[in-house]
Amino acid sequence: MVTETARRLRLSDVLVVDVDVHVNDVPGALAPYCEMPWRRSLEHLVGVPARYLDIPGYAPALKLDPPFPGGFNLRSVNTAAQMAEELAAISVDIGILFPDHLLLMAQLPNEEYAAALARAYNRWLAEEWLHEPPLYGALLAAPQDPADAAREIARYADNPKVVAVYLPTSGVYPLWGHRKYDPIFAAAQEAGLPVMLHSVSAVTPAFPFNIDQFDTAMARHTVSHCFAMMANMIDMVTTGVPVRFPDLKIAFTEAGISWVPFMMWRLDKEYNESRRDIPFLEDKPSTYIKKMYFSTQPVEEPENGRDLVAMMQIFDGENQVLFASDWPHHDFDHPRQVFDLPLSPEARRKVMGENALKLFKIPAPAKVDGRVRWD
Amino acid sequence: MADHVVARVDELPDGERRIVRAGKLEIGVFNVRGRYYALPNVCAHQFGPLCEGRITGTLVAREETNWSRAWVQEGEILICPWHALEYDLTTGRCLAYPKVKLRQYPVRVEGDQIVVSV
Repeated sequence: MVTETARRLRLSDVLVVDVDVHVNDVPGALAPYCEMPWRRSLEHLVGVPARYLDIPGYAPALKLDPPFPGGFNLRSVNTAAQMAEELAAISVDIGILFPDHLLLMAQLPNEEYAAALARAYNRWLAEEWLHEPPLYGALLAAPQDPADAAREIARYADNPKVVAVYLPTSGVYPLWGHRKYDPIFAAAQEAGLPVMLHSVSAVTPAFPFNIDQFDTAMARHTVSHCFAMMANMIDMVTTGVPVRFPDLKIAFTEAGISWVPFMMWRLDKEYNESRRDIPFLEDKPSTYIKKMYFSTQPVEEPENGRDLVAMMQIFDGENQVLFASDWPHHDFDHPRQVFDLPLSPEARRKVMGENALKLFKIPAPAKVDGRVRWD
Repeated sequence: MADHVVARVDELPDGERRIVRAGKLEIGVFNVRGRYYALPNVCAHQFGPLCEGRITGTLVAREETNWSRAWVQEGEILICPWHALEYDLTTGRCLAYPKVKLRQYPVRVEGDQIVVSV
């Protein structure tokens, strides 16, 4: 007789969609896809030694920290075939691609150059990565030129492998709630593509990245993603983005999920006395936050996993949380880390993949004997 | 329902209020451009003395205003003195929470007296 325990759901039984994996977008790779005169700039950068997320004039980062004594786990993925193979090795069936270095592109002051880089990245992504069946892409929207970003969204709207719009969030100024970005939100809503905010550690004067006071890299990294998500969520809610674009799906990445209840309750508290200050909203802020999406990585590791599940229930996490690994970065999560949370079997399937399939409108591939057959 | 005399008509001009006791309740009676409205003197938030608050207008931002802020409902908005929650005097509705609507009590004029039924 087969017992309940023996029939328990295994990781290989569920479809795993990973909403945040990174491709190594070095200047030399993008150069052939970049228009003049900026192709020349990328060619000049080919000879510059590339450090992790630190390329002057391309991925600007004020690196304050000493090289970590004893080294640092560095991995990069340079081809679609390598990505497909490595994702399969960590039990991921489908991956949504984001850049490495252009995570820092919001800090580039030259508007023409930034827009050209975004166009080059998008072409490179579409032509060199998305042919692999498990790989889908997030289009890069340059905040420096919202009108051009909107044109890019319209250009790729019919590409079935382009399933999201990536909003660079590290050092972005002004924050993503500013009305100047409305063309991007309008285009994404029109195309039916969710927007995904993604940050990365950086030190810049733009709030909330003025984090030079911390003694250590760990301190900076503790706040760099989640403060960015919090600041931009506050800005987007208080300027009414979810009201002005009611069909726009908004996703927050790489900040874990336990900050979400805090933001809901904090904003709701302020709203009591300050509704007039944000008259765009038709209901309390948490109403809108519960319709947003949150990716898991770096997933919290509390002593008792039930505490994290309880937090997810506060914001309808069963339907709004998306598994992410952040492969191949140093702080990636193996799918098992999220799969093993004490979720119901139904919630587990949703969080590991079904929520993402629905959000990105990806046709569900069949999984037989623990593997997706793509042919 | 019991009737309670609020004031003489000439004692409650446009834009003014009276707070009266009706049994265990306190009721605020307001004259908004010649029409009378009555609400409980209790905010739905932390039970502050709502009817003692400022009477003003409010801000909206909608598609029709091109998402810019517009000043509306001058004289129709009551702001709780404790935490500034706004209520529409004419409907009892809390502006921040569409589901929250205060009870409204009927007000009528008998001779030169304003009477509220509680």
